[in-house]
Amino acid sequence: MRRKARTVAAVRLLLVAIAACLLSLAATHARAQTPSVEYAVKATYLYKFAPFVEWPAGAFEPSDPLVICVVGNDPVADLVDEAVKGQAALGHPIEVMHPGASSPDARCHILYVALRGAAAASLLERVRGKPVLTVTDAANEPRATGIVNFVVQDNRVRFEIDLRAAAENHLVISSKLLNLASRVSPKP
Amino acid sequence: MIQERRTEELHGVLGMERRNFMPFVAAAGVLLLLLAGAVIVLYNEQTYREAKTQQVEAQSRILASTVSAALAFDDRKAAHEYVKALAVDPQIQTAAVYGPQGQLFASYSRSADVALPAKISEAAPTPTGEQLVVTTPVRQGMAPLGTVYLQTTIDPISRRFERYAVLALLVTMASLIFVMLGVAQRQLAAANERLRRQGHDLVDANEKLRAQIEQRETAEAALRQVQKMEAMGQLTGGIAHDFNNLLQVIIGSLEVLQRRQQVVGDDAKRTIAAAVRGAERAATLTQRLLAFARRQPLNPKPIDVNKLVTGMSELLHRTLGESITIETVLAGGIWRVNADANQLENALLNLAVNARDAMDKGGKLTIETANTHLDEAYAHTNEIDPGQYVLIAVSDTGAGMPGDVLSKAFEPFFTTKDVGKGSGLGLSQVYGFIKQSEGHAKIYSEPGEGTTIKLYLPRFMASSEATDLPLEACGLPAGQSDRLVLVVEDDADVRAHAVGILNELGYSVLEAADGAAALQALDAHPGIKLLFTDVGLPGGLNGRQLADEARRRCPNLLVLYTTGYARNAIVHQGRLDPGVDLITKPFTFAALATKVNAVFDGREGSHRASAL
Ligand SMILES: Nc1ncnc2c1ncn2[C@@H]1O[C@H](COP(=O)(O)OP(=O)(O)O)[C@@H](O)[C@H]1O
Ligand SMILES: [Mg+2]
Repeated sequence: MRRKARTVAAVRLLLVAIAACLLSLAATHARAQTPSVEYAVKATYLYKFAPFVEWPAGAFEPSDPLVICVVGNDPVADLVDEAVKGQAALGHPIEVMHPGASSPDARCHILYVALRGAAAASLLERVRGKPVLTVTDAANEPRATGIVNFVVQDNRVRFEIDLRAAAENHLVISSKLLNLASRVSPKP
Repeated sequence: MIQERRTEELHGVLGMERRNFMPFVAAAGVLLLLLAGAVIVLYNEQTYREAKTQQVEAQSRILASTVSAALAFDDRKAAHEYVKALAVDPQIQTAAVYGPQGQLFASYSRSADVALPAKISEAAPTPTGEQLVVTTPVRQGMAPLGTVYLQTTIDPISRRFERYAVLALLVTMASLIFVMLGVAQRQLAAANERLRRQGHDLVDANEKLRAQIEQRETAEAALRQVQKMEAMGQLTGGIAHDFNNLLQVIIGSLEVLQRRQQVVGDDAKRTIAAAVRGAERAATLTQRLLAFARRQPLNPKPIDVNKLVTGMSELLHRTLGESITIETVLAGGIWRVNADANQLENALLNLAVNARDAMDKGGKLTIETANTHLDEAYAHTNEIDPGQYVLIAVSDTGAGMPGDVLSKAFEPFFTTKDVGKGSGLGLSQVYGFIKQSEGHAKIYSEPGEGTTIKLYLPRFMASSEATDLPLEACGLPAGQSDRLVLVVEDDADVRAHAVGILNELGYSVLEAADGAAALQALDAHPGIKLLFTDVGLPGGLNGRQLADEARRRCPNLLVLYTTGYARNAIVHQGRLDPGVDLITKPFTFAALATKVNAVFDGREGSHRASAL
């Protein structure tokens, strides 16, 4: 019953996702992905990264919820709350926070930087060395990119991974994820 | 022989058991082998399936693990690459990845025919036949991301059975060996059986052959005997003839000397007389040799043997001495014979001397004469002419002769007597003289009982005399089938002869070889009217004792005796009562017909018998 309830709760987003898949199939070589679908996909991806990332000991206790912080404002940021509804990652409930750019919450596990240009770079600089998976979107043209950086290739949402940045934040990225990355910048 | 047959039987029994046992063992062996083979194959098959399932499950888990990110981030290209990587394994028919909702995400199919479920349900299809389907949920962390679907072929049955081919080959070969063993065993048994049957046939054939050889040997022995006598006659004859002439010269010369009285003195006369006596003795011996060789000059004249025997009685009495009584039984109306009277007297004297020698404690000598007829069959086996003969039988109650002596008794120089007592020329003279006179001599003898020697001389037919055949002239009296005759005779040939004659005459005939068998036959067939028995029978019961016992059981039984001995000899020796019915061997067809008929008609046969 619980399972069913959860399924029902997820239906909306999943329907969107399925529609996105089907549409993407249909439109692969016809025309670009519909922007709204693209944002929804990116919003979903945020919590999906969690299983492929290993946080340093103590940073992600079994009792803790997965905390996704969204700083800034872009079409993706607006959809994150919607995307995680009813979802869980690694058995943890997911919590979405929207802290201010100046004081990102210390509990953040995943930080989506919806800032543009230098603002993004300074925020990234601020969380450097902390166990946070930083995610940026190339569409926001940030001056610096996070550990994960969304890009759109062949009308599909892909991502780049910066291993050096991950290492600085003491995170280990699963090779499975690396295999999917459109580009992996190597460790120093 | 008995031992051999036993082992043969034993082999047979063993062979039988082996024959019954082997096919069972072979079949059981083959069955066991097949069973073992099947079990091994099934076991291998089972372990193969398990291993295969584990392998595919491992492949499936690996795919599920690697494809998780692609599923999570909706990267169909990557997912497809992973799925395609499995194509390296030629047994993977289909590999597919389904999304969390069960929708197809990425797939690979080796061939177009392979049906792929458009949606995957939680309950994965179970492996069937040569297909093995494995589904594995894709998870990253706890989150279910989708399902991996793998469909592989298990090695085709043919491929798998190739692996079992060696085993199958071994099993087949072993089975074949068992079967061949069984077949070989069976054939061996059959061959043995054939061999044994052939062996039996061979034994039978051998038995027949042996009987034939025996028969031939008997015939050849008889012939050899005749030929030997012939050869001996030739040999002794040649020497004796020359010797005789030389003795004539010696004796003649000595006589010339005796006549010239002035030349010699008394002393010389006595010496010459001694030489003459010696030469005359030598001449007598030579005469006997010539007699055996049938070369003595004979002076045959028609003679009456009764008269001759009577004339010799004085001489015989002197020769035989006090302890031996002499009986002469002379048939009335005896035919004349054409023979040398002196030589016949010599022959009878020789027989008398032998009889005396055989009866050193005294006894009885019987001389009988009779008119007889020797028939074709008897004449043929003894190489004489059939027809009418005058019989002179000389019998004694002496020691008799064993078979080996009897067979040689006629040979010249054969003697069982001490040197100086016997010359071995007595019976040879008898034989030679009788043969030269175209007659026939025959010895019947039983050790301990006595001996009869029969001389047959052909009847003399003067041209003026009518050729009358009294026995056959009156026609032969036929028998009747209700007249059952029991023939008791130990000599199979004689028995067969008698049975043959009686059968031909129309009598019903039973036969027995000795007294015991005869009594059994009498008990079994109360209808027996006449007992026709040999006097001398083996087995403790002689003819007379048999007749007495038979008469005690059936008082009305008629009895006719037969014997090789002369009738009167037997009667006078007290072996039979006078007046019994007796026919002497050899008897002719006509004689037996007449005699048996006479006995049945209650006529006193003794008169007739004495005439024989
Ligand atoms: N009446 C007889 N009874 C037993 N044996 C006989 C009789 N007549 C002949 N024999 C056997 O036959 C042999 C040969 O007889 P015969 O030729 O007369 O020679 P001999 O009397 O000189 O020995 C005898 O030595 C004897 O053994
Ligand atoms: Mg003699």
